[in-house]
Amino acid sequence: MAARSGKALVSLGRLNGCGLGLHTSLSRATYATALTTTTTGNKVFPERGNRGGFARKPRRPPGDPRTEKMAVDQDWSAVYPAAAAFRPGSVPLPVRMGYPVNRGVPPEKRGNLELIKIPNFLHLTPAAIKKHCKALKPFCTEWPTALDSNAKCDEFFPIKVKTTDYVSASNSIRNPAARIVNLQVKLSSLNLDDHAQKKILKLVGDRYCKDTDTLTLTTDSCPLRKQNYDYAMYLLTVVYHESWKTEAWEADITRADMDEYIWEDSPSQKNILDTLVRMKAAAEGEEEAMEEEVLGRPEVQEYKDSVSRLKNEGENESSLLQYREAVKKVLQL
Amino acid sequence: MAAPLSAAKALPLLAYARISILCTTSGNRALHLTPGCCKNQAARIRVGKGDRPLTYEQAYHPHDIAHYKGWLSQHTSNLQGEEGAAERTVEDVFIRRFIFGTFHGCQANELVIKRRGNMLIVCALMLQKLPPQKFYFLIGYSESLLSHFYKCPVKLEIQTLQDKAVYKYL
Repeated sequence: MAARSGKALVSLGRLNGCGLGLHTSLSRATYATALTTTTTGNKVFPERGNRGGFARKPRRPPGDPRTEKMAVDQDWSAVYPAAAAFRPGSVPLPVRMGYPVNRGVPPEKRGNLELIKIPNFLHLTPAAIKKHCKALKPFCTEWPTALDSNAKCDEFFPIKVKTTDYVSASNSIRNPAARIVNLQVKLSSLNLDDHAQKKILKLVGDRYCKDTDTLTLTTDSCPLRKQNYDYAMYLLTVVYHESWKTEAWEADITRADMDEYIWEDSPSQKNILDTLVRMKAAAEGEEEAMEEEVLGRPEVQEYKDSVSRLKNEGENESSLLQYREAVKKVLQL
Repeated sequence: MAAPLSAAKALPLLAYARISILCTTSGNRALHLTPGCCKNQAARIRVGKGDRPLTYEQAYHPHDIAHYKGWLSQHTSNLQGEEGAAERTVEDVFIRRFIFGTFHGCQANELVIKRRGNMLIVCALMLQKLPPQKFYFLIGYSESLLSHFYKCPVKLEIQTLQDKAVYKYL
């Protein structure tokens, strides 16, 4: 059995040798070295351990590194077409890296693991980048000429949607953080009247930034990005339409819940009217309650403005000054 | 009836007898303790006679990483907020052992493993112990096997040397 199999293999070897036509005298020997385990009976072929014998092909001396044969004006992007580790035989620079031994120099580039460890940018020379840009150019389209400023972009595309894609050094492309959708819109670009403006602020709460007038909606409750995007658009639509509606119970608002201070029907109005009517009565002796006439006076209007400003804006120098002037005028001091 | 009773009575007697025998033998068998020697021995080759060649990697100890040495394995999983660091480490350990065994006796230095997006790039320095055809076969074999194993493209970048690059002798 062994002899038969050996013969079959030997015949294969012979055929192959004839086919190559190169070193036919040696081809038998090269195959024989692999065969001697099976063809123990055949003594024609030499033994396996005979390294110095004629049977073994003499070991080729290692050739010169590529750096010796490089022209000065070669195409470097052919040497490093893509990102690759540092190859000392391909980089014709006398680079040294590492801490020098005592009274020595840093180790040379041949066999230097430190040079292999670090990332290199040998594949990104300016010439190579020019080639990349040239190759990408046909796929690029012009920026629309109508959108030549940021303001115009905001005007035509007021809603800005932000999504993030994640790449990591693993064999999985899934990242749960990629489903988060961030939608930003300026309220000035939405069509809102006074009531709608106040109502939308109440509906939205924390998501509105007063300094930048931006409403931010962040959705991450759905597992897919598309679902989160649809949900964000839905939320924006609903909030907008709800803010335009006036419910029946909105009329039941009490003074304490109102955002702004309204002077009409306030204790301040009652007090000033009382005071002025009594002053008038004391001066002229008439007790007619001519409230509209009193209200119509410019000093009273000024007083109203100053009090409203104080209550709404808070106490600062200018508002207090204005209040002082108004009070002086009203009380004719 | 009678037999089990006697057996039950006999057992405790025997037990007591055994204990008493133990206590009465000569020699105290206590636990011996020596103070611990808290030496670091990770990846350290100690100073010897001066005939042992060391590569740069072996000459510097782990506390010199980021001072004199770089990192053998680079991936983004160790950054803030990234996941999968443990899986990448296990992969690294396996790949090192795999290559050590596949190219047995040919490895000149430690492997450098880089990850570029999805790809695993293994950079190795080998000695010229095998004929090139065998090297090519082993490279192809490792690449295809590891690619199928890790479900990502694995590339081997092998450089060969005549002999190891010696840094110093210890």
